[in-house]
Amino acid sequence: MATVDEVRGGAPAPDPRPRKKSAKPRRGTLLGQDRRLGYGLTAPAIVLLLGITAYPLVYNIWNSFHYAVPDIPFINGKLAGLANFRRMFSVGSTFMPALLHTVVFTVVSVVIEVAIGLVLALALNKSFRGRGLVRAAVFIPWAVPTVVSAEVWKEMFDPQQGFVDYALRLLHLPGGTTTWLANTDTSWVALFIADAWKNTPFVAIILIGGLQVIPAEIYEAARIDGASPWRQFRRLTLPLLKPALMVALIFRTLSAFLVFDVIYIMSNGGPGTSTETLAYLDFNAFHVDNDYGYGGAISLVLIVLCLLIAGAYTRIFRERA
Amino acid sequence: MTVLSKAQPGRLARNAAYTAALAALLGTAAACSSSGTPAAQASANAQQTIVFATHGLGAEGQATNAAIAGFEKQYPNIKVQVFNLDASSTNQLTQLEQRFQAGTGLDVVDGDVTWAPQFAAAGYIKNLSSAGFDTSQYFPGQVASAQYNGTLYGVPWYINAEGVYYRTDLVKTAPTSATELVSDAQAAMKSDSALKEGFAWEGDKYEGAVCAFIDFLGGFGGKLDLSNLNTAANQQALQFMYDTIHKDAVTPQAASSWQESNVQSAWESGQTAFALNWPYEYASTLKLASLKSDIGWIPFPSTAGTPAAALGGDDLMVASKSAHQAADVEFVKYLTSVAAEQQRAQTAGDPPGDKSAYNDTLYAAAPYFKAEQAVFADTVSRPSSPVYPQISEVLQTMISSVLAGQSGPSAALSSAQSQIQQIPGYTA
Repeated sequence: MATVDEVRGGAPAPDPRPRKKSAKPRRGTLLGQDRRLGYGLTAPAIVLLLGITAYPLVYNIWNSFHYAVPDIPFINGKLAGLANFRRMFSVGSTFMPALLHTVVFTVVSVVIEVAIGLVLALALNKSFRGRGLVRAAVFIPWAVPTVVSAEVWKEMFDPQQGFVDYALRLLHLPGGTTTWLANTDTSWVALFIADAWKNTPFVAIILIGGLQVIPAEIYEAARIDGASPWRQFRRLTLPLLKPALMVALIFRTLSAFLVFDVIYIMSNGGPGTSTETLAYLDFNAFHVDNDYGYGGAISLVLIVLCLLIAGAYTRIFRERA
Repeated sequence: MTVLSKAQPGRLARNAAYTAALAALLGTAAACSSSGTPAAQASANAQQTIVFATHGLGAEGQATNAAIAGFEKQYPNIKVQVFNLDASSTNQLTQLEQRFQAGTGLDVVDGDVTWAPQFAAAGYIKNLSSAGFDTSQYFPGQVASAQYNGTLYGVPWYINAEGVYYRTDLVKTAPTSATELVSDAQAAMKSDSALKEGFAWEGDKYEGAVCAFIDFLGGFGGKLDLSNLNTAANQQALQFMYDTIHKDAVTPQAASSWQESNVQSAWESGQTAFALNWPYEYASTLKLASLKSDIGWIPFPSTAGTPAAALGGDDLMVASKSAHQAADVEFVKYLTSVAAEQQRAQTAGDPPGDKSAYNDTLYAAAPYFKAEQAVFADTVSRPSSPVYPQISEVLQTMISSVLAGQSGPSAALSSAQSQIQQIPGYTA
């Protein structure tokens, strides 16, 4: 008998009936009928899940070891061995540079977003007049679809009609004539800003949630003991915020590692190949070249890397907890 | 549900559950088996609507609509619905491939000259060899581009060639070398402060950059020989592209993300002395009152004596899954008729793909088509291959990384050659 708590992963509610020792009830008993009905009812969902997650995954692995290029029928479906993987590391391949870009993007954007998100969360956790309004305003960027926000930022960084250069010139700051998205270095600045604008609120939401469960009494006690605000932050807030911080970090790291939309819209991987990330390369293989073998191979590498990141975080989380 | 199962531990609940599971399975199976049936063909006389996938901005779009109106008047039973493709040719190709793979939805397709071999190899388009088109009417280079394994799969609609436009008020005599073009552009920028740049061309990472590269290759005697890319002449052409932006300052840095439409607006707003573009610009420019100058149009000047003008243009193709192939062929015949092509040439500036359309009727209405012949004479086609889109993508990356200063011409050329060899199905 599945209870609400079991479904949610909580502790099972105490069963009033005396529990039998054997886990496998015999056919025909009431419990056995319950169990079979349970399987029957979950079967559609399991079939659906297998269909939309397991099947594509297995199919993708199959593809990555084959030539899977429907537009080139004379080679489509033939066994490729490791050719798709070798191609990633061949002379002139943009895979390794894209991996480097992805790692740098992930580290820099997550650091920016968590730092600003933490400050925002701390500020919005204090009570002040109009806090609800300010909170709502801060969260708006997160509710805007990335395609829309990236298009807006692309316009903002345009040297002719954009706001960024205009503002810099108005304030007599350097860089007022920069063509942001045409330089291999400044284009990253534009991407970091656009990505941080969109995703910092997400980090802030999670952290505010974490702050709200910290009881106010312990701060009171700390104040009585004479702890400075900085010491309170270091010794109380930060350790108690750690679970929420970890959740924010895992979510942001994985989604930054798979970044595609903001890059596709704003820089399209350019100038040159300087802002190509792994997900962008994967998209190109799948949807520009229609090469499901090479795309599948890149996807497989991406999956493995994401598993490694998730594994590393879980390990850190377990050690600290 | 558990309450229900306790009250009725019998069949009803179980059967309901199994039925639901079965329905889900059947649903998946049905979704997987919907392709592969040949469409029943409608006759040309039947009442029907065909979908024409095409692209074109401004005058080109209007010319298409005018031609469709003419066709629908002649064939009242056939309605033509335009499916507008994106302005970027890379996106057009993606849009078409996705719809072809989905199987249905398109009847007649207007595609770039480089696409027919790929579509034909994949079985997306109909063999038109027995549909009654006379290949001797078309320019040989374009016919070759519309064939796959010697069989006609596309019908040349209009031919295109890319050349250099220049304003005769700023440039008195046409330059005869790349160096001269740059110095003319610099001189023009000095003499006219309204100029923002001297030479506008498209450097974005898309098909247009490959065409520009072919034009520039001709200037230095280079060739797009995919098994021997890293030659001195090819390096010079790439270096020239980089230099116009970063050294000679005749092309703005933004041009490394410019497409044709950006070049067009730079030229039409009178902010450049030279512009690389296709023939449609000739007609557009002559109609412009704002650009108070005569213009010249030449192939990109060559010091090697072999100027190259990238062959472009569009072929019309019929989807092999179309249920209206008889009507489709009639529509293609109408669009490629001498009269319809001449009309399109006059209003949109698209040069007819049919050689017999170049006659006094056309010259009387649009005399510049005589001047354009010089550029058409130097057309050089892009590599013909069923894996051309993949080849092009490698070349685009090569050009783009040179323009961004990420790699030098020689390194970029040898990287490109190595990457082209990695394309599945590529044979030299």
